[in-house]
Amino acid sequence: MPAPAGPQRPVTDPADRTRLAWTRTAVGFAAIGGAMLKVSPVAGGVVLLLSLPIWLIARRTSGADLAASSPRGLRLVTVTVVIVAVAALIVAFFGRSPDSLGQLLRGR
Amino acid sequence: MTAAGDGHEPSHDRRGETGPAETGPAETGAASTGAASTGPASTGPAETEPDPRFTLANERTFLAWSRTALALVAAGLGIVQLLPPFPGVPLGRHLVGVPLIVLGAVLAIAAYTDMMRNQRALRRGEPLPRSVLPRLLAGTVGAVATLAAIVVLLSAAR
Repeated sequence: MPAPAGPQRPVTDPADRTRLAWTRTAVGFAAIGGAMLKVSPVAGGVVLLLSLPIWLIARRTSGADLAASSPRGLRLVTVTVVIVAVAALIVAFFGRSPDSLGQLLRGR
Repeated sequence: MTAAGDGHEPSHDRRGETGPAETGPAETGAASTGAASTGPASTGPAETEPDPRFTLANERTFLAWSRTALALVAAGLGIVQLLPPFPGVPLGRHLVGVPLIVLGAVLAIAAYTDMMRNQRALRRGEPLPRSVLPRLLAGTVGAVATLAAIVVLLSAAR
């Protein structure tokens, strides 16, 4: 069956690639959330939860609708990465590691 | 840098050209998607909604930078939490890992502002602004690699 011709047809492939990029990003967040569960269950759980809306953004859009996506979703990704970084800094400085900064300060 | 590393999207030369001639945002954005003026002419340059492919490529580039930022955070956390301590270098893992985590946060914010600037330039049909992200990433990763080498050498010497 031939592909339907129309003005939006050329947008389909870029839109698919963009949807896959969103999916890869959501999988990345879920992966780091799962890894963080091991060292900090609360922070890992938060990151895992935040990967859900990002995955939903990938799901909600279809075809050329992606082109009109609002910057809200993009802002969510930025805020989530910053939250992950802050959580990572907290774990790095005050985690359970024997030579973490918190342990070293407590030891002095 | 190609958007999102996919290698199939319209090329964006960040130093002057606005895109392929047949799909330039200023020329065909209005034709292919229906022009959408986004602001009164009196407040600045006239803005029209660009070709959706350019918007999508911009979005993928942003997502690729965000994944890079996330990978930096993961690498920094992994260094701090999973590597064995460097003998003789207290806080050696923190010296290497924390800058990567901070770079991840900075990169995520810079990627968002970069994406918004690019989108504004596309709407106005202007050349895309030069991005600081590649230099920021290369410089910081190079500095952290040098620091890591020094920490490892100091640790081995003791």
